[in-house]
Amino acid sequence: MVLQTALLIGLVVFSVLAILLKDLLKAAISLAAASLLLGIIFFRMNAPYAGVFEISVVAGLITVLFMLTIALTKGESAAESKVASIAFPAFFVAFIIIDALIMRKLIQKIPALQGPAESGTFGQVLWNARTLDLVGQIAVIFAGVFAVLALFRKRNGKDE
Amino acid sequence: MNSTWFYYMFFAAILLFAGIYCLLTMRNLIKLFIGIEVVSKAVSLTLIGTGLAKDNLLAAQALLITYIVIEVSLVATALALIINIYRKTQHLDIRQLAKLKG
Repeated sequence: MVLQTALLIGLVVFSVLAILLKDLLKAAISLAAASLLLGIIFFRMNAPYAGVFEISVVAGLITVLFMLTIALTKGESAAESKVASIAFPAFFVAFIIIDALIMRKLIQKIPALQGPAESGTFGQVLWNARTLDLVGQIAVIFAGVFAVLALFRKRNGKDE
Repeated sequence: MNSTWFYYMFFAAILLFAGIYCLLTMRNLIKLFIGIEVVSKAVSLTLIGTGLAKDNLLAAQALLITYIVIEVSLVATALALIINIYRKTQHLDIRQLAKLKG
């Protein structure tokens, strides 16, 4: 539990760093580190498939896409509001205190919903129980591919 | 079992707050997208945390995989849009985009 809490705190710290760092490349690397920690947390929560996907796709592929975008936009960074950066720690600490108080209050109030315990393997659940999700995933991947192709297509003279 | 759920919800709420704060206050398009990514991490943690607390980890993992696939498609499309916006306007400041007309 101590290690899990340390990992979760690390996840929050790296996520906050990704938001606050002015250098976009460092922010993207912080986001990748946060994804890596989240993947390790999933492994420790006994969810290895989620961990593998989180580390390979989110920490790997999405970071590469981010870095590519930062390189193609020459690391252009807009002037951020100073007030927002200065006020963030105060708001953040206030939110953590409120969050802790609310969770502590709710913990005795809301009863745990008991669902039936599941059986079978991950493959059975994914391929038999969530078949429609897989069809949706294929549709979403095609939609993404066509969207990127449409956005990067060569324009003819009339469009310019 | 109930306390496990609140333990993960506590951290997910913090991530959600940080992401939404970023979305509300930042002006760089890439930074805004990093905010969306942080929110998506909160959602992932909520899904698996709930699956663990309710003893339904397999279904939670199947849902998370669907969610990650959707996230990747979203990221690819949005970053392509950002690159196109940069090519057209030569900056990534959202205040400048408000001046676009037509």
